[in-house]
Amino acid sequence: MTAAVDALPPAAIGAPVLEVFGVSRSFGPVQALSDINLKLNAGEVLGLIGDNGAGKSTLLKILSGFQSPDAGTIKVNGEEVQMRSVSSARALRIECVYQDLALIPQLTVWENMFLGREQARRWPPFILNGRAMRNEARRSLEAMQVKIPSVGTEVGFLSGGQRQAVAIARAVYSDAKILLLDEPLAAMGVKESSQVLGLLHRLRSARQVSVLIVAHNYMQLVGICDRINLLRHGEIVMDVPVTETSVEKLTQFMVDEYQEATVAATGSPGPAPQPK
Amino acid sequence: MDEVELDKAKATPGLSRRQFLTRTAMGGAGLAGVGLLATPANVIKAATGGGGNFPTHPNWKFTFVNHVTTNPFFVPTTYALQDACSVLKVSYQWTGSTSSNVTNMVDSINTAVSAGVDGIATSIVDPTAFDAPIANALKAGIPVVSYNADAPTPLVNQRMAYIGQDLYASGQAMGDQILKVVKEGLVAIGIATPGQLNIQPRFDGAQAQIKASGLPITVELVNTSASVPNELSIVEAYYLGHTTMKGFYAVDAGSGEGIAETSRKYNFPSKGIHTGGFDLLPVTLTAIKDGFFGFTIDQQPYLQGFYPLVQLFLYKLSGGLMFPCDTSTGLKFVTKSNVGLYLKGKSRFEGSTSKELLIK
Amino acid sequence: MSSEPVTTTRLQRGTGWARLRKLVGSVVGRREAGILVVAVALTIYFQIITGRFISGSNFITVTQLTAATAIIACGEVLLLICGEIDLSVGNTFALVPFILLFCTQADMPLPLAMIVSLAVGGVIGFINGCVTVFLKVPSFVATLGMLFLLNGLTLTITNGYPSAAPTVGQASVVLGSAPASEILWAVGILILMQLLLTRTRFGPHVIAVGGNMMGARESGVSVPFVKIASFVMAGVLAGFAGILDSFRVGSIDPLQGGTEIMFMAVAGAVIGGTALTGGSGTVVGAFLGVVVLSLLNDGFTFIGISAFAFDIILGGAILVVMVVNVYLGRLRIRRLSQ
Repeated sequence: MTAAVDALPPAAIGAPVLEVFGVSRSFGPVQALSDINLKLNAGEVLGLIGDNGAGKSTLLKILSGFQSPDAGTIKVNGEEVQMRSVSSARALRIECVYQDLALIPQLTVWENMFLGREQARRWPPFILNGRAMRNEARRSLEAMQVKIPSVGTEVGFLSGGQRQAVAIARAVYSDAKILLLDEPLAAMGVKESSQVLGLLHRLRSARQVSVLIVAHNYMQLVGICDRINLLRHGEIVMDVPVTETSVEKLTQFMVDEYQEATVAATGSPGPAPQPK
Repeated sequence: MDEVELDKAKATPGLSRRQFLTRTAMGGAGLAGVGLLATPANVIKAATGGGGNFPTHPNWKFTFVNHVTTNPFFVPTTYALQDACSVLKVSYQWTGSTSSNVTNMVDSINTAVSAGVDGIATSIVDPTAFDAPIANALKAGIPVVSYNADAPTPLVNQRMAYIGQDLYASGQAMGDQILKVVKEGLVAIGIATPGQLNIQPRFDGAQAQIKASGLPITVELVNTSASVPNELSIVEAYYLGHTTMKGFYAVDAGSGEGIAETSRKYNFPSKGIHTGGFDLLPVTLTAIKDGFFGFTIDQQPYLQGFYPLVQLFLYKLSGGLMFPCDTSTGLKFVTKSNVGLYLKGKSRFEGSTSKELLIK
Repeated sequence: MSSEPVTTTRLQRGTGWARLRKLVGSVVGRREAGILVVAVALTIYFQIITGRFISGSNFITVTQLTAATAIIACGEVLLLICGEIDLSVGNTFALVPFILLFCTQADMPLPLAMIVSLAVGGVIGFINGCVTVFLKVPSFVATLGMLFLLNGLTLTITNGYPSAAPTVGQASVVLGSAPASEILWAVGILILMQLLLTRTRFGPHVIAVGGNMMGARESGVSVPFVKIASFVMAGVLAGFAGILDSFRVGSIDPLQGGTEIMFMAVAGAVIGGTALTGGSGTVVGAFLGVVVLSLLNDGFTFIGISAFAFDIILGGAILVVMVVNVYLGRLRIRRLSQ
């Protein structure tokens, strides 16, 4: 990660790094995902909007290797892959930051950053190189301009925004090329969201990582994404560059869908729903 | 901890230091209060009156270590210690294990030695584990006697004397009693903690006596475990599995009580099953009176507290001239003919009441 | 509340006060300092009351009271941190010395016999771990079943009879019969476990599994490995403690240990700062917690409390110690978040 952050023009977005063709997944009688087609380009920030129950978590779990799809193929950098585990996804430089952040409140910032990939000394064997890890953690957090009092603070004592930043920093530090973020701004106040959004802006400007953000609050996504996809009932129903849409257009789309659903359910359109 | 709490904590840093001192002081005061409750007045070793004719002497402390400190059998023993201490103006401590745990007893003896008590009496329930601790105590100049249960012969253990019942002989006496009424068949003998020296020798004595007789009697050991509620269930279960047995006997108080209750429940006398046991629990005595239990053997637990304490006291008072000596606390058979004396009223000597009474 | 800043300023004026506050602050900072303070305070308290609590022979007595339970507590703490518990350690403590006895009676060379007996402890732990992790039985229940199973097994193979400790000649000196050997083993094990938890990746992994199991899994920590390894260690340590204690006392009893020593080990761990809900705890804290319990036990026996009142006093003292400990813990949290 470079310390200086350059703003590159949109044309710097490159070839697809992640492609999903026809992925489906069901759990018993419930069809969580059906025939998902999705493309994430190099350096791009893709926003995937979906309501709860639309299948966002399942898709993320499949893309991060936590689960396998029932059908379909996934290609990374043009090559078909089978991700059987989180570590195999990690080997392909895919990292996912889940909603629960996968942070351990009782461990310190640096311990969390290196959880699962701790650095050990050569001799004595198995002994951790704590100092090296602490320095690395400090350096990468500073490079990303994330403000933490000390890398030795237990994560449980950090605020929500700081925790989210640490989780994202951990994924970026591990040299991920494809970053999957699950509801990064959920349950966060304005002040904390701005901290995380700032970090995401810096990531986007650097264009070193491709990011797929999944959320249901699209107002914030529109400000930070290059492209928007809409996931509804396990299917992708919209795929537009952010320049071709807006918060109002998305709202109108939602309202129309809502009305269609209401008509189908009750036989008459209900009162006009308020935009979110 | 969210940001609001964090901000609050930041605003009052000094409070935490003061709170530390206050709270620790409170905690310390709490501990001190507990400790004050805990310190019996007679622990303080000031010179007191002599008691009777005896000269003034310090308030010596004698530690009695027991294997089942909360077992009702030893309640008269603790009464005896109280009585003896009040006459002689000394004090005692009653400690050990509640569950025949040898390690706890050894630890208690070691602690007593470190505390520099003036005498130790312990039941010796393990063949070897008590040798070293007692040797250490003697080396530190503390007199040690055993009571209720003794080390095995040939004697390696260095205790000065044993005060209690001759356990093997009492087992033999029980064996003789069994042979009087049972001529053949299965005889089961219940024992709470096999292998432990306070009761195993009784079983061995009884078994030896029966074997020596040459009669066709099979003796079976029933392990009833050391906790009284359990003993009843195990006894009952054993009987239901061996209804043709000819005799069901016990070598300890709890097993005896279990057999007495089972005998009453299933009417052993009508089935020709003979019973008998040791020690004087109220249930056992009543069963004897009502004819459901054949006999019990009294080892006079009151004397097992009184005599050792007096002997240790005299040893200290005479500077070692009066040396503890082996003392038998008796082997008395209590049957229907003399059980009335025991049931007549409540007595401190039997543990049924704590009141000091003159029994005529 | 408004007078607080004024008081603080007054305190700040003298340099002596400032130094004392700094010293106190640095001591109260570390997790285990709280329980260490309690242990020291108890020692001083008993010394004041009895006048001879601090002595060479009593020091040995306290170490002997502590050692076996502390070794078990080291293993139990691992499990408590990752959110599990092992109720059967007291019965492993009772069984393994008998395995050693049978092996030596069968003329097995001592090193091999030791390995076999400790392996039995490990296997017990392994079974506990597998039942908990793969059969998804809560560890409380799984180890409760194992407790009864082991109790019955021990009574069966010994017919309920106690035995003398195995005859191994001079080796017994190293294995517990010398007064200092048990505590030296305990301290050695403590140092090893502390190294394991603070200097290897196992430490953060155990805490991760206890603090956020889902998150740990998502980070690539092998939750089954961490839990089963902890169970195995607890079993081996419990068995080793049983062997050491058997040589110290000179005899093995099928009824020894059991739930009493298990609860003392767990209580020691909790008093020493391990959260029963998992995610935090240290072996040093657990060790000190067991030391505190031994001090209480020894001290009250010193004072001369008799058996009936003993448990009342001990229970009351444990509560007081815990209350003080909780307050000191809260102070630490407050101080850390400043």
